[in-house]
Amino acid sequence: MSIATAIRDRDVAELPGRRDEDWRWTDLRGLIRKLPPPSEPFTAGVGDGPFDALAAERRVVVNGRGAEPIEVPRDASSIVAVRFVSRGAGVHIARLNIFLGANARLVLLESYESNGASLSEAALNITLGAGAVVERVVLAQDHAEAVSVSQADVTLASRATFGQTTVASGARRQRLETRVLHPGGQASLRLDGVYLLADKRHSDQTTVVTHAGTDGVTAQLTKGVVRDQARGVFQGRIVVEEGADRTDARMGHHALILSDRAEVDAKPELEIFADEVACAHGNTVGALDEDALFYARQRGMPEDDARALLTEAFIGEVVDRIDHAGAREVVRAWVAERLRG
Amino acid sequence: MAAVKQTVEHVESLEKYKHGFVTDIEQDFAPKGLNADIVRFISAKKNEPEWMLAWRLDAFERWLAMDEPDWAKVSFPKIDYQDSYYYAAPKEKVGIKSLDEVDPDILETYKKLGIPLREQEVLAGVVGAPRYAVDAVFDSVSVVTTFKKELAQVGVIFCSMSEAIREHPELVKTYLGSVVPVSDNYFACLNAAVFSDGSFVYVPPGVRCPMELSTYFRINAENSGQFERTLIIADKGAYVSYLEGCTAPMRDENQLHAAVVELVTLDDAEIKYSTVQNWYPGDPETGRGGIYNFVTKRADCRGDRSKVSWTQVETGSAITWKYPSCILRGDGSSGEFYSIAITNGRQQADTGTKMIHLGKDTRSRIISKGISAGRSSNTYRGLVSAHPKATGARNFTQCDSLLIGKHCAAHTVPYIEARNGKAKFEHEATTTRLSEDQLFYVMQRGLSQEEAVQLLVNGFVKDVLQELPMEFAVEAQKLVAISLEGSVG
Repeated sequence: MSIATAIRDRDVAELPGRRDEDWRWTDLRGLIRKLPPPSEPFTAGVGDGPFDALAAERRVVVNGRGAEPIEVPRDASSIVAVRFVSRGAGVHIARLNIFLGANARLVLLESYESNGASLSEAALNITLGAGAVVERVVLAQDHAEAVSVSQADVTLASRATFGQTTVASGARRQRLETRVLHPGGQASLRLDGVYLLADKRHSDQTTVVTHAGTDGVTAQLTKGVVRDQARGVFQGRIVVEEGADRTDARMGHHALILSDRAEVDAKPELEIFADEVACAHGNTVGALDEDALFYARQRGMPEDDARALLTEAFIGEVVDRIDHAGAREVVRAWVAERLRG
Repeated sequence: MAAVKQTVEHVESLEKYKHGFVTDIEQDFAPKGLNADIVRFISAKKNEPEWMLAWRLDAFERWLAMDEPDWAKVSFPKIDYQDSYYYAAPKEKVGIKSLDEVDPDILETYKKLGIPLREQEVLAGVVGAPRYAVDAVFDSVSVVTTFKKELAQVGVIFCSMSEAIREHPELVKTYLGSVVPVSDNYFACLNAAVFSDGSFVYVPPGVRCPMELSTYFRINAENSGQFERTLIIADKGAYVSYLEGCTAPMRDENQLHAAVVELVTLDDAEIKYSTVQNWYPGDPETGRGGIYNFVTKRADCRGDRSKVSWTQVETGSAITWKYPSCILRGDGSSGEFYSIAITNGRQQADTGTKMIHLGKDTRSRIISKGISAGRSSNTYRGLVSAHPKATGARNFTQCDSLLIGKHCAAHTVPYIEARNGKAKFEHEATTTRLSEDQLFYVMQRGLSQEEAVQLLVNGFVKDVLQELPMEFAVEAQKLVAISLEGSVG
């Protein structure tokens, strides 16, 4: 069940849909009655990407073409911006492999940019050697009519550190899925997300973290703001396998619903097969705190400004956790623009 | 030295499952297997009216077209539905007028049950016995219903389902299947076709039921499925508290238990439904035997400001698969779910609740405490949803899991669906093992490891035990301790 197999067999029935447990809130099968035309190459310019100024190396994958592997050798360090650009209404499939040698460092600045009713899937394989460090910042700014799916499979060797922040404004259907496997011990993981959705946009942030080694640490924080008739989806699963002792895993998902017709669906799951662990998750969904709003207005702040201030502060907690200062400011500006606009 | 005596008793009970005995009384069996004729046989045995038979046959037709669900985190060999007896009634002795005439073996069985509620005395007719009304379901047929007259004086109807079908067909027709529709799920549908008996309660408007109502389910005959159907209706402004306690004898064949419980509350009414379930969990080493507990329990808070509270202590069964739920339809209605699920040995439990907020200002609260020990698996699965019209809906969920031992598993699978900007949902969950520090502290003060574990576990589940009616709470606390015997060290 994936977009790739549906394209290969030219069969919409193979698209994932509501009956697949992991896709219950992101129904592609019910949405797509007919597959879009095959992908065409696009040769015209695609303009600048959001992270161009920060990166030492820039990659642009247009309509699924040009995804050369990224390798960071042992002890080396690099900052790479990767843009997945979709132009036109075709079906675009991209695969990107990323390898880090032992103690290598990479800042991966990724963006998704579509401009129409395309159907795109990006599959990333990220492998970290022992002691390697990756920070991945993903900015998904898709078109309202696009269907965009990104799936990253991350494998952490022992003592590896992986930090991630996905930031999404939604699309007709948008899914950012991250699967992390800690086979080695002492791996450390931060897995954050932000979604800001308006109109009829949909965004799904799905994570699966599997602790197979000992002494792993996972910290997850996802926050979302939905308005109009938008729909935010968060699915987080933490699996602690037998023998993965001294795992410490924490997951939080908090969402604000700012209109009567918006929707938030969440499924924070824990699947624990070891006893020497500490795992927790928290989930809240609700409206802006009326008391805080009242307080701000009482001090002369117009209501719209007060709302923007409070929602920015709400999202700011996630943004502040981005390590790379440049990327953090790009994301902060992007968030502010959407919340104030 | 009550504590010493208790310990001795606990150790004795470790020897084998306390309630694992078989009472030999003559039984009326339907032939093995399941087909439309068996459904007719059951209906005829119970002298049911034509409309009830039609209802059952319709359910059977639908069941044939359904597939058995497999999404729960439980695994078991495929059930052969043709290899079971669907009806087994103790042979009736004609014209029982008083308890003395009840089969002495049955009375003996009650005695052996250990009796959490002293229903034994009630059944034996002891003067000054506590005021419980007991509807005892002995292998599918209500043997005796006590206190019926006293209840009748205030207008409360408490009887077996088969009697209700005969005596109160209007109420049954109106409400049966209105909360759990016939084809709601595979097991509920099977129940609708072959249900044997169960309890029926109707509390008229404005009446506060003068006593705790209680029922006893006990699976007795070999290879006989137990398919109760319980229906409780609290009319406007009524209140009733209902207790359900379960034990079953030891057995090698897996036994299927697929009950359906339907609760209906109208305006300002309240139902409190408490369960202690202690069926045979199967052999702790091999997992052989044991009960399959696949139950559909659902409450419909139909009226404004109505309330339903589910409390369950699940310590038994090889497999528990159930989700007592509340449909919060009436404005201002509220639902509560308090659960303790303990798994040990090879037990598997996938349990939780659904709180479906449809009305305005509806509230729900979920407190779930799961404890897994041995090689068992314990899953909390729950749904909280708010409809776009459910403005002001409020939910608080807390589910905590405790792991005792290296080979057990604990899972938490909450589903939250908020379709409303004015709903507020909070959920928190933790999974940990018993704190070494706390254990050390308690043992340092002279408690054995087992006692220390019991003490800490009782603290862990305290929030839920408090919700049980008093007489159940004491028993449940002991049950918690007994269930965990042999899980440490």
